[in-house]
Amino acid sequence: MAIDGALIAGLQAQVGVEHVELLGEISAEMIGRYAAAVGESNPLYSDAAYARSRGYADVVAPPNLLAAVINWGPGAPYDRLRDDGTEAEKHLPGVPSQGVRVMGGGEEMTFTRPVVAGAVVTRSTVLAEVGERSGTQGPMLVLRYSDHYRDGAGAVLMESVRTVLLR
Amino acid sequence: MSASEHERAPVDVGSTLAAMSQATSKVQVFRYSAATWNTHRIHYDKDYAVAEGYPDVLVQSHLHGALLARYCTDWAGEEGRLISLGLRVRRFALAGETLNVVGVISAVALAGERARVTLDLAETRGSDGEVCVTASASVEIPASRLAGDAGGGPG
Repeated sequence: MAIDGALIAGLQAQVGVEHVELLGEISAEMIGRYAAAVGESNPLYSDAAYARSRGYADVVAPPNLLAAVINWGPGAPYDRLRDDGTEAEKHLPGVPSQGVRVMGGGEEMTFTRPVVAGAVVTRSTVLAEVGERSGTQGPMLVLRYSDHYRDGAGAVLMESVRTVLLR
Repeated sequence: MSASEHERAPVDVGSTLAAMSQATSKVQVFRYSAATWNTHRIHYDKDYAVAEGYPDVLVQSHLHGALLARYCTDWAGEEGRLISLGLRVRRFALAGETLNVVGVISAVALAGERARVTLDLAETRGSDGEVCVTASASVEIPASRLAGDAGGGPG
């Protein structure tokens, strides 16, 4: 599939449609592993006693943890992975899983509340905007997805606006 | 520069903050993929990366973001907070590359006892100085840090 009228119409039909996914509980272990992988030494991410001394109930996640996790589930069976190792059935709302080249065009994250271990997080994703641009290698679509991450009480923890380019 | 040294440095529009240097490695990139359940071969399979036109496996875009976030939270210190971070990855970095992050204060807005500081950030490759990521961050710090209390340090 190329960038054509059918693809654009399909994307425009998705604009404003909310997709909600329960991501699960953010554990202290998940936070600790993420912080270690980044190379963080901030005790807020690994030392619960220190975190409590700073007024938090438990360790706190580094700012972009929620946005960085690629897959919140167990992962697909091997016969449902693409050649590049990613999941064939995990794709952006409105974007076909094959036939278009998907590129990252940047991300704007707003950190509204700290993510404390034990939080049960839900993500809502909305395709906010579909734009067209003529690139040097033909037409290109510029998509903006808005993700809101909320805790169990419905309070927004973080918002991320991702720009995705399709060619 | 330690967090306490950051907190003694002046907060003025146009000031360049102390740089942070981070040596990445294949082990780090592997651990980051594992911690984020990222199965993309571009981050651990050199043959695949070469077939895609890269010399070796790549640092994840979110790991770039995490390093920039760390730079901001280190500068913000215990009493500060990272409010927002917007970034754009412009060039790839190979696992093993040293990444250098530096920020420039582009705006300061006072709101009572807190100040909101805008940082323009750039992350460059140590090997050739090319810019991998440009970013803008909003960081909230105690307004007392604006008072020019340089703590007896130079400048």
